Amino acid sequence: MLGEFMTSILKYGTIDDKILEELRAIVGDENVFTEPHHRAIRASVPAPFPLHKWSEHTPDVVVLPGSTQEVSEVLKISNKYKIPVVPRGGATGLADGAMPLRKGIILDIKRMCEILEIDEVDRTVTVQPGINMQELNRVLEKLGLWFPDDPASYPVAVVGGRVGTGGWSLVGAFGGHVPDLVLSMEVVLPTGDIIRVGNGGGRKIRKSSVGYRLKDLFIGHQGTLGVVTEITLDVFPRPEVEFPAFFGYNSFEHAYENAFKMTTSGLRTLGAVVIFDEEKVEYLRRDDEAYIPQPKSIKSIIATVMYGTEAEVEGAKKRLFEIAEKDGAIYLGEELSEGDWASRHDRYALPLHGRRRSDWQVVPMTWHCEDAAINHSQLPYVRKRWHEIASRYIEQYDGVFDDWGMFMYSNPPFRPWGDYLTEIDIGINELALDEETWEAWVNMKREIAEVVIEVEGSISACHGGTREGDVEVCVRQELKDGQFELMKKIKKMLDPNNIMNPGKYMLDEAYQEG
Amino acid sequence: MVELLSYKKFYDEPLKKDEPVSEEITKDCYTVFACRHKFCREVCPVYQELRNESYTSYGFHAALLSVSRGIESLGNMKETITYCLECGACELRCPNTLFGGDFYKRRTTTVDLVRKIRRDLIAENEKPNNWGEVEKKIDQYKKYYNSSPEEIRQWAKDLEIPTTGDTILFVDYFTAFQETVTVRTAAQILMKAGVKFGVIERPGLTLGELYETNFDEWLAHAKETIEALKSAGAKTVIVVNPHEYVYLTREYPKYMGSLPFNVIFITEYVAKLIENKKIKLTTEVDIKATYHDPCALNKFSGIWESPRKIIESIPGLEYTDEDPVSQWYNCCGNGIASFKELHPELSYRIGTSRLRKAADLGVQYLLLGCPHCKDQLSEVQTKSKINVEPIHLLEIVAKAMGLEV
Repeated sequence: MLGEFMTSILKYGTIDDKILEELRAIVGDENVFTEPHHRAIRASVPAPFPLHKWSEHTPDVVVLPGSTQEVSEVLKISNKYKIPVVPRGGATGLADGAMPLRKGIILDIKRMCEILEIDEVDRTVTVQPGINMQELNRVLEKLGLWFPDDPASYPVAVVGGRVGTGGWSLVGAFGGHVPDLVLSMEVVLPTGDIIRVGNGGGRKIRKSSVGYRLKDLFIGHQGTLGVVTEITLDVFPRPEVEFPAFFGYNSFEHAYENAFKMTTSGLRTLGAVVIFDEEKVEYLRRDDEAYIPQPKSIKSIIATVMYGTEAEVEGAKKRLFEIAEKDGAIYLGEELSEGDWASRHDRYALPLHGRRRSDWQVVPMTWHCEDAAINHSQLPYVRKRWHEIASRYIEQYDGVFDDWGMFMYSNPPFRPWGDYLTEIDIGINELALDEETWEAWVNMKREIAEVVIEVEGSISACHGGTREGDVEVCVRQELKDGQFELMKKIKKMLDPNNIMNPGKYMLDEAYQEG
Repeated sequence: MVELLSYKKFYDEPLKKDEPVSEEITKDCYTVFACRHKFCREVCPVYQELRNESYTSYGFHAALLSVSRGIESLGNMKETITYCLECGACELRCPNTLFGGDFYKRRTTTVDLVRKIRRDLIAENEKPNNWGEVEKKIDQYKKYYNSSPEEIRQWAKDLEIPTTGDTILFVDYFTAFQETVTVRTAAQILMKAGVKFGVIERPGLTLGELYETNFDEWLAHAKETIEALKSAGAKTVIVVNPHEYVYLTREYPKYMGSLPFNVIFITEYVAKLIENKKIKLTTEVDIKATYHDPCALNKFSGIWESPRKIIESIPGLEYTDEDPVSQWYNCCGNGIASFKELHPELSYRIGTSRLRKAADLGVQYLLLGCPHCKDQLSEVQTKSKINVEPIHLLEIVAKAMGLEV
């Protein structure tokens, strides 16, 4: 039951013609869209979407701002009339960050895509939030520079979304992750005020002891605290060499032991160590031409990649091969290693790989990746539990869910040891969703997340803990020791009317307590 | 055969305003929606200008899916669906095509879907803004079609080309009446190389605008063209306009089965003539140039090697290559059918972006393989004054052969 106060504060304004006129006056007629399809296509992200409840998540209006000032003006209006605002970047996140829960305005920031400054001396680049990493690196590479953020969505995600979700990079062990690469940024607060946060007051400074670490507050907030409109990023010298090497093993346990030796070898060139478990290799053998021809004895795989100068990688390569070969791993060859590494951004989303177990027929499915951070010691246990959970649901709902195996990626920034971004990939047939199957799905997620809490991990290394099924576990269990309480206070202080991405992280609760 | 794999017969059933979307089309749209990673978005030349994901392969498929779910009505898509050049980049970039298309015999076919939706909306009398311009163009081409044989062959004046032969140079109405230099140059190159060829008197209309408006009429013209080529004795048909090449190799066989002759694109033919020393490139052409892959060749037909082979054999030419996969991102801005008539300003913006990319490479010339690209980019160059000269690569070949054209 909502108290009286709650009812009043959560009562949002209706977007009427007058508000639409005001929005149009700010961003121009051509950048405001009200027809249903423009709104409907911006209801979802690649995470499984309740197609049977599409309308509930369809925003009321789409606004495409072109500048910081316009973002600020839009937020002022939203704040004045109490209209929810959901920022949308590349919309490739997997935690539903850009999925509206309370309708309102979708603030699609992709028009803001300029590179504002490249500083070759102090080694930074300053960008607007709507540029993607591939576009950025195309320009940087001409100057011998590199922005090392490398998510699976590298060619499609945009910098603003990467910041908003606290993104994780596949080569983070070498180049760090998004939170490590942001030096400072301009943020529009829910009230429309424009602030700059950095390391202390520095714009291009990498370490400071001044003030609170407020910059971190605006990384990974999933659009609940404001909109980033300008970001100054660290850039690296473009590495002389990128060397991927894939190895085959006769069991997951075999690969797991060898991964420990690799990650703790002290090789500074290692950009990633990725374990493919047995279910994943089996999945890849379904119809992936790189994996079908692999000998049956290969049941598990480790993918590695190295970065550095030629001299560094030459030496490190020898050491890595020694570690692998000593444990009986089989090098899968240059063609597979280079080819699979090169296509790492493209091949993870193939709806047609889904299968119905009863007759092995293709069922188009979308791909869900549960991406917890898990310590090395806990990987075998988590793996066993997750597959058990998935099997139980697949058995009950054959053709709706499918288990596409697990990846375990070295997780820490600038070093490969200790914990892994551990993901289980679940196929899900959204066209077949109804209340019952959606509920089953949410329950499956909840069970998967609870295993993570049991082993003292974190339920997301890269996507965020905002999705149905995850969010309850995140808020009630993972963040229970005072963290969620503090989050609510911060949220209410910065966003008095709860307009920014309301409903995410269950932060509505902040407004129930008066 | 890629073209047959991509033909989805269930697209033939028209969409109607107040009727449900068929299950097959719903599934087809879902396989793009299911991905939602939007590689299709970034590669789209329209998106690169407007940054609005409504106008992408993801946007179109998701919008139609929303129609199937009763969230949107079909008629509301009439403007949105015009924001497509039909360049084909999104279909290629789609993981369903790249990794699964051959295996599952089901690739993404955005261009076919866009054409279908446009045609079905016109049939429902849902015409977009500016549609009058498209109708004007169709009328203009009907006039061309109804011209006298002398007028249709005006481009070939003094060349004395027969109307029959084993080898036929296919000349459509755009190259016969508007961008005539390209086809005239092609004819002169073939003649100098000693190729015996004819040109049919009156082909049917191949027009993309008609294909998307009145399919039956377009198909009747297609049949007429095939008949004319057959009765002229064609065993080999050489095509100069990449758009026509796509109709002849990909669209016509969908509805008429295999054609009774070989179809070959001019750059493939000329590259062979150079290789066999039938064409001798003796005059130095002292220019710095890059090459623009036409969408209809590179993205639809996989032809990117022969133009490069030709360019690299031109003496004196300093060539800077932009690889054909990177060029999936490019388009001259003309589009395959009605885009330019409906969005002249946007078409110009896309064209200026293309010319600027070439200018960034520090070249003087942008070599082209398509008369539509030449028409469009010449216009853009004149208006924008960007310092790169668009020129058809056949004109450079002619120069290197010492031909006066």
